[in-house]
Amino acid sequence: MLTIGKLAAQTDLSTNALRFYEREGLIQPSSKSPSGYRLYGEDAVARVGFIKHAQHCGFTLTEINELLTLRAQDSACCDDVRRLAVDKKLQLEGKIRAMKVMSGALDLLIAECPDQGRPVGDCPILGAMEKIGQGSRT
Amino acid sequence: MRVELFQSAGCKSCADARNNLKSIAEHAVPGVVWRDVDAVKELDYAVEVGVMSLPALAVDGQLVFSSLPTAAQLTRELQRRAAGASHGR
Repeated sequence: MLTIGKLAAQTDLSTNALRFYEREGLIQPSSKSPSGYRLYGEDAVARVGFIKHAQHCGFTLTEINELLTLRAQDSACCDDVRRLAVDKKLQLEGKIRAMKVMSGALDLLIAECPDQGRPVGDCPILGAMEKIGQGSRT
Repeated sequence: MRVELFQSAGCKSCADARNNLKSIAEHAVPGVVWRDVDAVKELDYAVEVGVMSLPALAVDGQLVFSSLPTAAQLTRELQRRAAGASHGR
């Protein structure tokens, strides 16, 4: 059995992060020591690794809970997991596209302001932002 | 009118509903062209249309249903669009 400190060391996470996972329902100690400390089974290391990897792929904790539930269900199949992965991919690509549009808008503003040392009242970027703001109110 | 069902391989709910929805669309208004879109193979197009989860249904390149519609919802939407198109002429 592992204490929370040992589990944290083996998974390269802080004990606070593990307690947070527990509050979110992602991990549960399998028992407690006579003095009340959390004790985890050896499988907790793999479970925490799974959670970390899923977070790196962009899954939220709620979605990771869904993945963990699917993993434990005999009736679930890989297609169910694939569907969640495709949904996540679509959401990420949508965000990337929106951010590229934002980045392109910033490129235009930056190109408007090639000079250094202008007074702030004469800043073309701020001027353009004000025009955009006025345009959106009309 | 182009009706596109975005799905991914292995989506059981899509496969079950697909034939039913296709038949409903084709009977709702004349001139419906149905297309099944594998969102993984046509990811860029799915993102361009605004699909964030599967299954989803678009009409003329516009995301209309972000989950499978009922028969009544699909019929109503297609007939509304067809009526709008004929008034616009």
